Amino acid sequence: METGRGPEGRVHMRRLMGLWRQTGPLAALSVAAPLIGGLLLVGQAFLLSGVLHDAVVGKVPRMSLLQPILGIGALMALRALLAFAGEQAGARAAETVKARLRKTLFRHILAQHPAWTAERASGALASAVVDQVEAVEGFLVRYLPATVSAAILPLAFAAAVFPVDVVVGLLFLFTAPLIPVFMALVGWGAEAASRGHVQAFARLSGLFADRLRGIVTLRLFGRADAEATVIEEAGDDLRRRTLGVMCIAFLSSAVLEFFAALGVAGVALYVGLTYLGLVELRTGALTLQAGLFCLLMAPEVYLPLRQLAVHYHDRANAKAALAEIAELFEGLPEAPAPTIGHCPAERPGRAVSVFATDLTLTAPRSRRTILSHAKLVALPGEHVAVLGESGVGKSTLLEALAGLRKYQGEIALGERSLSRLSEDGLRRDVAYLSQRPHLFQGSIADNIRLGQPGAPDSLLHKAANLAGVTAFTDALPQGLDTPIGEGGLGLSGGEAHRVALARIYLRDPGIVLLDEPTAHLDPDMEERVIEGILSFARGRTLIVATHSAALAAAMDRTFVIGGGALLPVLCPRRALSPMPQQGAA
Amino acid sequence: MNSLSLILHLAGKRTGPFLAALGLSLVTLAAGIALLGVSGWFLTGAALTTAGLAFNLFGPSAMVRGLSLMRIVARYGEKLVGHDATLKLLADLRGWLFRRLVPRVPFQGRLFRRGDLVSRLTADVDALDTVFLTAIGPILTALAAGLAMTSLLAVLLPDAAPIYALGFGCASLALPIALALASQRPGEAATLASAELRMRVLDAIDGHADLRAMGQTESAFRAFSASGRRLTRARTRQSALNALGTAGVQAMGGVTLVGILWQGLEALDTGAVNGPVLVGLLLATLASFEAASLLARGAGRLGAALAAGRRVQALAASEPTILDPARPSALPEGSSVHFEAVRFGHTPDRLVLRDLSLQVRDGERVAIIGPSGCGKSTILHLLLRLSDPEAGAIRVAGQDIRTVTQANLHRRVALLSQDTPVFLGTIRDNLRIGCPDADDDALWGALRAARLDGFVRGLPEELDTWLGEAGRTLSAGQTRRLCLARVLLSGARIVALDEPTSGLDRETEADFLADLAAATRGRTVLLATHASLPDGAVDRVLRVENGRLSPQ
Repeated sequence: METGRGPEGRVHMRRLMGLWRQTGPLAALSVAAPLIGGLLLVGQAFLLSGVLHDAVVGKVPRMSLLQPILGIGALMALRALLAFAGEQAGARAAETVKARLRKTLFRHILAQHPAWTAERASGALASAVVDQVEAVEGFLVRYLPATVSAAILPLAFAAAVFPVDVVVGLLFLFTAPLIPVFMALVGWGAEAASRGHVQAFARLSGLFADRLRGIVTLRLFGRADAEATVIEEAGDDLRRRTLGVMCIAFLSSAVLEFFAALGVAGVALYVGLTYLGLVELRTGALTLQAGLFCLLMAPEVYLPLRQLAVHYHDRANAKAALAEIAELFEGLPEAPAPTIGHCPAERPGRAVSVFATDLTLTAPRSRRTILSHAKLVALPGEHVAVLGESGVGKSTLLEALAGLRKYQGEIALGERSLSRLSEDGLRRDVAYLSQRPHLFQGSIADNIRLGQPGAPDSLLHKAANLAGVTAFTDALPQGLDTPIGEGGLGLSGGEAHRVALARIYLRDPGIVLLDEPTAHLDPDMEERVIEGILSFARGRTLIVATHSAALAAAMDRTFVIGGGALLPVLCPRRALSPMPQQGAA
Repeated sequence: MNSLSLILHLAGKRTGPFLAALGLSLVTLAAGIALLGVSGWFLTGAALTTAGLAFNLFGPSAMVRGLSLMRIVARYGEKLVGHDATLKLLADLRGWLFRRLVPRVPFQGRLFRRGDLVSRLTADVDALDTVFLTAIGPILTALAAGLAMTSLLAVLLPDAAPIYALGFGCASLALPIALALASQRPGEAATLASAELRMRVLDAIDGHADLRAMGQTESAFRAFSASGRRLTRARTRQSALNALGTAGVQAMGGVTLVGILWQGLEALDTGAVNGPVLVGLLLATLASFEAASLLARGAGRLGAALAAGRRVQALAASEPTILDPARPSALPEGSSVHFEAVRFGHTPDRLVLRDLSLQVRDGERVAIIGPSGCGKSTILHLLLRLSDPEAGAIRVAGQDIRTVTQANLHRRVALLSQDTPVFLGTIRDNLRIGCPDADDDALWGALRAARLDGFVRGLPEELDTWLGEAGRTLSAGQTRRLCLARVLLSGARIVALDEPTSGLDRETEADFLADLAAATRGRTVLLATHASLPDGAVDRVLRVENGRLSPQ
């Protein structure tokens, strides 16, 4: 896939801007507020210079100047208010955009096949949804308003000064065409500086995170102290290297400083010399008010540009973040279309046949063929075992039947093709227990209720009892309400399996697919769990992948996977005999 | 303010660069204030001299030019020196923290959720090291400039000095501190909400198949959205505070200006001050508030940095759970391992190991099998003293491991853990973690034993191939082999291997285990696994059941 830089990067930024524009008035206010504030500044400078002129030259007593002085105060208060409103609007717009982006990404993840998520580092996906999305904020809140201000305000200020003094106006206007040049210069310099800085920062941060991740290993090898020195030396090395880049990169901001200082000094000297009669470039006399007004406006002409330079790296950050997301998600995901319902499922609870023909499955990573043109039949209400050595592809087959994996060939549930069933219908009709069920953070009861949210306690207890969960929860002080998952009680593999089995018992499926439901169980417990499975599966179609002879013996029919084929077995005990030792009992 | 002292303590070690950066930023600020002030004074003075009085043109114009030049040079220097100092602090802080954490890992209890520790610590440290440049430095600079400006006013316009001191003090000290304190709570909330959001994503990814199978993706999405809303709320509060800060500084600037103008005009009426000086002071006041507006931005980060500093400090100051004995004994020669009635549980009411006993002779290879979560890894961790048992004793070469130093123990026993990482660096760097002064022959020997030599020889840069981010990524099997080579290189006589084949496909797993006997020849091996073992891989197989070991 493309990495999303270059032209793709521009497309991503346009998408981001599009999302931002959708926030409407918020986005508009965040850009307009600094512009209006800038225009009010012109009025404030005019009033201030007027007051000073009247007081110093005209010797007007201060009480007569009360009105313009209050005007100055009012304008400043108004500008503070505008700054607050603008920043708030910008922040809210950015929050809206970020929330939308996060939801789009999360929806996209959920909508994929589990194999898609399994192929990606979960940490990287989480970081994309949480950190990378956060990284676009600076661009929206600071960079965008700063760009608009830098493009408009210097010209507006020059225009405001023009009627007061043509020469100063010309000086500003003369530098105005240079503004795009400045912006390019700022862009180049600021980008180089921020790239240098961010890279140094990221590298050192990355190195630190890397060593921190392996700190136990380093400690056990007695290398921790040496690696602390490596971290410190890497910092020093990076410092020396980036300093070279910075020497040049900071020059661009020095150039801006130079122009800002030149503006103030130039105006001050020109106006001063005009007063002294040493420079005669204008026809009329120059009042103190006009001179002060020009002087007050001089630094403001260059201020928006300097602010843009400060925020320039926000753009690069946002671009890099979007590129990162695009790489992980193979393009920036669009907001998902509402789910399209296809065929409705069979009536819930009714046993449904499973019929797979010409089924070909390949392992996701190694591209090894697991099944090639295989056939599997389970009649309505029939109980079927699938055997085979571990790693041979039993789980892959069950995942395909559960509609959680791509396959070639045809799978039909009842009369309907699996590929044409709606997600909702499919889930109502098919219950599936994976080989390594995940327990979510919460209580055991919460985890079981995943099968049927809001299930009453009586049903919950029945399901927990049937699955053998109560066998270990009865000994716990909080029983089914014991918290599990990270930060809670750690369940063993067998216990986790039983909790996941209880989820299924809360449902009413026509087809039940169980992947090694009795793994990690001792014989007594296994017998109890098998009883539960058989009692629940009465009148339903059941397919289990298993190593257990006891479970296989309780099924009506047995298949074995081997050599890419799915073969019916007449004597399941013989098929199980060369099993490795880990088969239960 | 405990965390502030941490920053100052670290900065204190680099006093020179930080003082230089501070000095230069003060010069920059002062030159900026003086430039506008002198210009206003000069301009007004010139305007008043049209009456024909002589005006010394040379002084002011030279000052205007000199100040502009000074400002440019000082700003440039400040950026360069500040960058230099920050990078130094960056490295110092990380090195310091790393050294502090080493004796404290692995952290006992469940303080941190999976993966949280690394990402949170790096984020916290990131928040800490810019705080000097964005908050503390500017506050000190602004205070110095404010003090100078107040003194100047006290001489030239005494009535206005208190107004300025109050206004500027509010804007550059009271407001940033109030902001920093007020932003701590939403900052904390944002950190929590963001961690929660990350947990939701990780939970949904790990349980993706279950969610899909149960048709519950919608409820996962709702939970995610709820966490997202909490994050949005916290961030909105944070940005509201920031906006309040910016607006507050502007308002404070306005009040101060109007106040000084009002007092100044009275002084002008009474002749206590002349026009040019008044104009110069007013313009200088305006310019000085530029420094305060920078502060308001940094203050929000100061709050975050304070919280980050507190967390880092708490971790760095926590008690190490495993301590070396006060008077360590020597570890005798030998590589036997004995567990004597060892009891262990992460929580008191659920024991993982109950009175577990185990004898492994010198050079014996023993596999420990059992379902996941039964305590296989725990046995290996106890052997390396990553935790201590509640009861019973563990002996290496007949010596109780609690009586020898951990460094000695770790030299004798090497662990290939389930999550042993490949570090950023070359293949050589990664191997040498096992033995820092191993020569190339030794490295190749270890790679040969781990059956990775052929692959490495095929790489264009052989041992110097860069691994990790932006470098080459190894397959799961190659990664495990590289980590095994690292363990073999260490010279430890006892090797503990924790699920060395997890994440490998069946063929790679079988190859790996078949090679194991030859690779670990002459060493005692404890192998925790649930893979099926080929003949001859180990001498004995033991199964963990109900917290005890029984022969298979």
